[in-house]
Formats: sequence, structure tokens, C-alpha cells
Amino acid sequence: MPKSRSLTVDLTVYSLDCIKRSAYRFTDRFAFDLKIDGNAALCTLSFDAKASDQVMDHIVASFQKELLDQDLRATIRTETKEVRNLILAHAFSRTGLIGDEPFPVD
Amino acid sequence: MSRFQSIEFYQRPTTPYQLLPFRFTQLNERGEYVVTNLAGEHLVLQGDQLRALVRHELPRTSPDYQDLRARHFLYDDSSKSALDLLALKIRSRYRRLAEFTGLHIFVVTLRCEHSCPYCQVSRQTEDTEAFDMSRETADKALEFVFRSPSPAIKIEFQGGESLLNFDLIRYIVERAESINYEGKRNLQFVIATNLAVVTDEMLAFCRDHRVHLSTSLDGPQDLHNRNRPRPGKNSYERALDGIERARRIVGRDSVTALMTTTAGSLDRVREIIDTYVGLGFTGMFLRPLSPYGFAVKTNAIAAYSADRWVKFYRDGLDYILSLNKAGIPFREFYTSVILKKMLTSDDPGFVDLMSPAGIAIKGIVYNYDGAVYASDESRMLAEMGDQTFRLGSLASDSYEDVFLSDALLNPLEESFAGSVPMCDECAFEPYCGAEPVFHHTVQGDFVGRKAESSFCRRSMAVFRHLIELLRSDPDAKRIFLRWANR
Repeated sequence: MPKSRSLTVDLTVYSLDCIKRSAYRFTDRFAFDLKIDGNAALCTLSFDAKASDQVMDHIVASFQKELLDQDLRATIRTETKEVRNLILAHAFSRTGLIGDEPFPVD
Repeated sequence: MSRFQSIEFYQRPTTPYQLLPFRFTQLNERGEYVVTNLAGEHLVLQGDQLRALVRHELPRTSPDYQDLRARHFLYDDSSKSALDLLALKIRSRYRRLAEFTGLHIFVVTLRCEHSCPYCQVSRQTEDTEAFDMSRETADKALEFVFRSPSPAIKIEFQGGESLLNFDLIRYIVERAESINYEGKRNLQFVIATNLAVVTDEMLAFCRDHRVHLSTSLDGPQDLHNRNRPRPGKNSYERALDGIERARRIVGRDSVTALMTTTAGSLDRVREIIDTYVGLGFTGMFLRPLSPYGFAVKTNAIAAYSADRWVKFYRDGLDYILSLNKAGIPFREFYTSVILKKMLTSDDPGFVDLMSPAGIAIKGIVYNYDGAVYASDESRMLAEMGDQTFRLGSLASDSYEDVFLSDALLNPLEESFAGSVPMCDECAFEPYCGAEPVFHHTVQGDFVGRKAESSFCRRSMAVFRHLIELLRSDPDAKRIFLRWANR
């Protein structure tokens, strides 16, 4: 019989994308189920039947820390999106690898 | 007007700055994080410093601020050229992509006089018709080789035991030299061989045509001979004799050796390294066991986990570093590849650690029967009955058919680490590889779930270990810088 832990995440604090990205990192440790109720994300983490309470507590705590990290990553992604595209366009300019540019002859 | 900003300028506690794109991953249980920028430069930050950085609260006076600005994680009004410099480094890093396929593997025969339990492909037979490459097939493969735009071409002969079809090797070398006479590309040849059947005449040919030899050496005599059974039970003795003669006839640096890691290797890493040092090699490659072919059938792969291999690797690297500190220069090649990616703007183009994956676009395999495979592992997978990475046939397909095939483009596109779950946000992505063949083999998917990937687990452990060593051991750092800049 699998064991499970439930967790409610406030969607005004963390995005759904953050929650899913966090859960994905733990696919080797629990199965994940998610239900939305207004601004609450109801998360169910299902563990192997052999998992101890101590192990489950540790993993739930790690999952909560991962939410913080994912939130930080989302901030970086949003803030640097434009400059990222600019840098990459510059890096690959005149290589012949980008769309309508001619291949350099020299 | 002064040529310098006032001292107050530098002492302003906070200043507006913009973030540049970067990724972060937890380094250890001490709350430290590795951050890497688009060009693969890395720094280690405390968690609170990382959060302060992202919230734009990092004071200019902080030592981390100066490092982060110098390494292009942020820019401010005094670092206007940051975007240009970062773009230039990215450009340098990816410059070899456009060169395309440089490594061309010719499987000249599947025949072998060894019967190694972990070997994926070899056949114990005298039937030269069934398992040897023909000249007609070799000619077609050479047409493919010289269609590649790469300025450096390496032709590697594999088997089976490749020297059992030496006449064809001789033919291919001479034919390739003749084709290359006008193009004058950097053309190199390597024979992968156990050296058991090598003759002085073969070695003289290698000398005359600057052919390099890559042999197999698994460690001390008992371990090597147990891993590599052959009639006479003398694989080790034959290898040593071959190495000695190759050095004498072809040249001191003409032969390198590769080990295969088995369960029996795991507690003997020092003895293995001592064997290499004792034989005068200047480095070695601490390789994991591959998940292909007989290795899977015999459950050899299950005999040890990724964690067990990591311990083997760490013990081995510690020992190699102690040798270097004692004045014996000796390199670990896998580490050297990673360090080059970590500490320079260069990418050595190591097939297992490339994204886009190195399959076909870095190295390609022409099998004895004319089948074209995306990598050496792909043909081993085919021997297990899985033809997923068979790109076509030299007999019926053109260069365009092969390189534009869905069998190649789908795994290349799907596995690109920059857009793969978890890899896209991993600080180690610039050092790592896409590995679609491995993940297809183990998880049935070109991408694979990285949380369950032994490749990911193994690689992350190595990256973390190297970064910790770079920070904690000044002597190791000096040695690593030498390896990275060779």
C-alpha cells in the first residue's frame, strides 16, 4: 500500500509552473498528483510502501525548498529573457546558422 | 575630468545592475550553489548571496559582486561591453559545431579471437565473408568521409579485432591519403586493437603512415586476463608485448590504452593506475561500464551502480592527484575533458558530453555490412536487435539521406539539453551531454527522466566533486589548470 503526504501550495505565492518543475525533480522519489482549488494547489505525494516517516518528512522539506529555488529561477528567466535572445543572436550572427543571413565567405 | 571614478563610486553600497542569464544548482548540503552563465563560466555562491543577487540587493562592495560582474552574471553602468564579451565566448564555445563530423569509425570486421563477456559485437569465427567489410563498402564510406566539411578528419578502425582485416585497413589508409592529397586536411588514423595479433610488418606500416594505436588495458595481469579471455589465456602478455614493439617500431607516443571497467575493477583502482604508470603511459580514462550488448545480457551492468562507479572514480582521481603532487605527471582524460569545458571557452567536442548530442554530427560509424550508425553505441544497440539509430546503408542511401534522416534529426532535436526538463535549468548543463542513445537504451526515450538517469547522477557527482576540489585544494587547482589548458 503506497504511503502519501499532502501539501497545499498558495498559487498567489508560487506559480503552477514552479510547482510542476519542482515535482518533476522528484520523480525518482514520489508520484505526484495535483488538484487546483481557487488559489490553492493541493499536492499529493505518493511514496513507496517501504518509505519511513523520517524519509518522507525529509523529502517533503526538500520539495518545499525546491519551490523556493524554482521561484528564483522563474525570476531570472523572466528578467533575462530579452538579453538572452540578444546575446545568442549576437553570438551566432554571421555564422550562416541563422535564418536569412548569408554564409561568411572569408 | 579624472580618468577614474571617485572612490565613493566604488564604495556605494548598492547600485542598479541588470542580471545576465544564468542557471544555478545546489552544490552541497552546506547551502552553497554553483551558478553558470551562458558561456559555462562558473562561480560558487552562498544561498543568501544568490537570493540577494536575484533581488538586486547585492552591494557593489561585496567580493561576490566583483566576481559576478567579471564573469558576466550581471552588468552595470561600468561594464557596457559585457554583452559583447559574453556573446564572443558563446561563439567560441560552439564554433566546432559548424565543422561537423570529424570522427569516422570503420568497423572493418566483427571477427575477434577474444571472447570478452562484456563485448557487444565480436564473433568467434573464421568466416571472413560474413563479418568483414569489403573494399566496395569501404570506398562508399570514404565518399561520406570526404563529404564532411570538417578541416580535421580522424578515421578510426574498430572491430571485432580490427587487425584481423589488416589488408582492408592498409587499403583504406592509402586510399584516404590519395583522396586527401589535394584537400590537405588534417587527416589522422587510429587502429583500435588488442594488439594480440599485431606483427612487425603491420607496425612498420603504421610508422610509415603515422597511424596511431589505441589498445585495451584493464589493469593488472589477473584482472585483464579475467576480463579478456582468449586461447592461451595470455591477453595481458600479448598486449604488453604489442605495446613494447609498437613503441619501438612506430614511436614512443604511438600507442595509448583504454580500460574497460568491470565489477572486478571497482576495488582495484590504484593497482589499475599503477599498471598504466608502470608501463609509461602519461594518462588514462576511468570509464564507466556501458549499458549495451552483452554487458546487459550478462547482468554485468547491474553488478555496480552509478554511485559505486563514482566512488571508484573519486578514489582514482585522488590517487592520480597524489601522483602529480609527488612529481609524476599523469592525467585522467575524462576529467581533462570536463575541466576544459569548465575552465576555458573551448569545447573539446567529446561525444558523450555534447549538446546537441555528438551522434553522427561529431562521430559516425560505418559498419562492416554497410549499415551507417549514429555512434559506436548505436551499432552495439543494433546488435541487441534495436535499430533505432541505424541511419541508412552505404549501399542504397546518399550522404543527404543519412544526415537528414529522421533517425538522426529526431534524437538530436528532442534531446537538446537547452530545452530538456531539468537540463534547461541545471547549472552543469554547459559541461554535460544530451546522450540520447544512452537514455533510449535505459529508459526507452531519447530524453529520459533525468531524476532517474544514472548518467545524470554520475555526471553531476563528478562535476560537483571537481568544483569542490578546485575550491578546496590549491595544488589540485594548479594541476587541473594544466590539464584544462593542454
